[in-house]
Amino acid sequence: MEMTEPIPARTTLSEENRRKLEQGLPMWKIVLSQFLEHKMAVAGSLVILFFVLLALSAPLIEAVTGLDPDVQNVFNRYLPPFSHSVASQDQREAAIEKFITTHPSEATNLQTLLLEKSLVTAAAPEDALYELATRETADALQILEQVGSPQAQELKKTIHGFDTYHIFGTDELGRDVFIRLIYGTRISMSVGVLVALVSAFVGLLIGSLAGFYGGLVDTLLMRVTDALLSLPLLPVMIVIAAVDMQKLPFLKSLVSPQNESILKMIVILCLFSWMTVARLVRGSILSLREREFILAARTLGATDATLILRHMFPNVIAPMLVSITLGVGESILFEAALSFLGLGIQPPTPSWGNMLFNAQELIYQAPFLAILPGVMILLTVISFNYLGDGLQDAVDPKAIRR
Amino acid sequence: MSTYILRRLIQTCIVIVILSYVCFYLMTLMPGDPVDMMISSNPKITAADVTRLRSLYGLDQPAYVRYGHWVSDIVKGDLGYSRTYRVPVTELIGPRLTSTFILSLTALGFSLLIAIPLGIFSALRPGTKTDYIVNFFSFAGISIPSFWLGIVCIIVFAVWLPLLPAGGTQTVGAQNMGFWADVLDRAKYLVLPVLSLSLQQIGRFVRFTRSAMLEALRHDFIRTAKAKGLPRQVIIWRHAFRNALIPLITILALSISSVFSGAIITETVFAYQGVGKLTYDSIVGNDFNVAMVSFIISVAMVLLMNLVADLLYGVADPRISYK
Repeated sequence: MEMTEPIPARTTLSEENRRKLEQGLPMWKIVLSQFLEHKMAVAGSLVILFFVLLALSAPLIEAVTGLDPDVQNVFNRYLPPFSHSVASQDQREAAIEKFITTHPSEATNLQTLLLEKSLVTAAAPEDALYELATRETADALQILEQVGSPQAQELKKTIHGFDTYHIFGTDELGRDVFIRLIYGTRISMSVGVLVALVSAFVGLLIGSLAGFYGGLVDTLLMRVTDALLSLPLLPVMIVIAAVDMQKLPFLKSLVSPQNESILKMIVILCLFSWMTVARLVRGSILSLREREFILAARTLGATDATLILRHMFPNVIAPMLVSITLGVGESILFEAALSFLGLGIQPPTPSWGNMLFNAQELIYQAPFLAILPGVMILLTVISFNYLGDGLQDAVDPKAIRR
Repeated sequence: MSTYILRRLIQTCIVIVILSYVCFYLMTLMPGDPVDMMISSNPKITAADVTRLRSLYGLDQPAYVRYGHWVSDIVKGDLGYSRTYRVPVTELIGPRLTSTFILSLTALGFSLLIAIPLGIFSALRPGTKTDYIVNFFSFAGISIPSFWLGIVCIIVFAVWLPLLPAGGTQTVGAQNMGFWADVLDRAKYLVLPVLSLSLQQIGRFVRFTRSAMLEALRHDFIRTAKAKGLPRQVIIWRHAFRNALIPLITILALSISSVFSGAIITETVFAYQGVGKLTYDSIVGNDFNVAMVSFIISVAMVLLMNLVADLLYGVADPRISYK
């Protein structure tokens, strides 16, 4: 077993390589070039980029496809993937009624046109549009095509909505899984990123206070940190998640039923995820405190705030970045776990976790429902973990190869 | 050593007391108390009855007074009565605790058994394709949500291929078929939960074993041992692995707590009757006495395991001394 690499015989540098070697590179270029060497990390960041774009463009996708994450349809529950659903008679009538009230002049115009060309037969002229709506979607669209009026455009959209294509099928309330997954991406990603950022900020604050001032402050803050670190997170989180925030008087004004579950989720996750950052920052600051450049700055009369903000923070940002990245993945997992237990994000707001919570009830009928959100979680978390790993390799000064 | 243990035990007890009070207080903030439930189940109840019931149960008193009563009951050995199961909490907890211990320890043992050889194996071949693949799978293991893995396991092994039970702890009546039949029956119910609980641990252990082993192999004494002509097995196990053990035990300590935590989710997915599921069910179902006791038990188990792990450092590394 060869444990050390064979040392190559003396190699001569070409003139070009020597020039390259001697040229200093800015820090970020070194980091970037090292990061790009880590193939999986690059792949991970691409996946994350894709999910972020997906989350940001959720309303756009909703507008283009005409799918609504909240529209329920009891007649189309548990449709398999790649299937069409056809709206019920009631829904069609409701939609037509809505069209008539929102576009009254166009509606009357179309009514007369339809009857003139005798494309539909109706008992009363007002029923013409309703009659049209009862036809097969393709037929109805063709008839509207024959009318040839530009005013039919809006109605076409309405009728188009009667026949929806569900690429990933529908869930237990007949909602489209595809658009819910996209909105779930939005919720889960933003909770993950927000929690990681907030907890990094809290950790930075506490860690730098403890590390810089030492003594009693340090002992006190680190005791709390250690105590929180040693807790079994899930039971504690479950207890806190089950709390009704409306019962706390000072939170009453902040909380409303719509945002309560998301807000609660973010608070709970932040409460228990700042400790690793705090320890990390404290460690770095403890060692930075003894360095000459800090002494020099102090001699020049720098205040504590300047020392911490200007001279120490730039040195802790790199390792913190790694821990923020890993924190996003972890927060997404915890959010999913709590939502899966029914204590996190509450429906109808979709999140990956609560989609799984609903899906597990009917594993036998619709296994597909349970698989998709999990795949999304797995993909995201694994990407964040690889990204963190790549960043760690890239910013680690010991690993820097100039 | 013994003073160290004593000090840590006292610290642990203080943490448990503080946590139990916090938990008690949080429970009062949960929607619905026992009287609310009686009101909803009895439409004829009058306002006077409600006040009488509230004072009977002590619900009109502030949280800390009620906590005091509750603690004095606990000290007397009275854990209270479960509202959901209609049995004293003491009867409920025992078998649940055994089930959880079996599940978590099996999962932990299983993951160590798989992860350590795998980690060492890939540490001995850094940068090769094998190393790459092992690394990928350990990343996947860390990132996989265990509850989802549980669901997928159920779909594959219980729905598509009906090989294993989808959930539960044991077949009804299996206890009477003799010891070995009972053990076998329980084992069958354990396979899927253990699998879904240990995958994350395996991923984590593999990564740490690998990096600890790589670190250990870089030491000078390894080169000395090699120069002396010691056999490879001795170098790996006696010299390198012994040194890699110290960081591993740290991770092991942390993962005991995450296994117990994770057991809550796994037990819920598989309807495995352990303390984790009991904690979850009682909190969700507002079964106050059970929730408090099972919460404290889960917390205490984790904290005690942390202590045990700290003591294990001393066994692995004689350089560490306890003051």
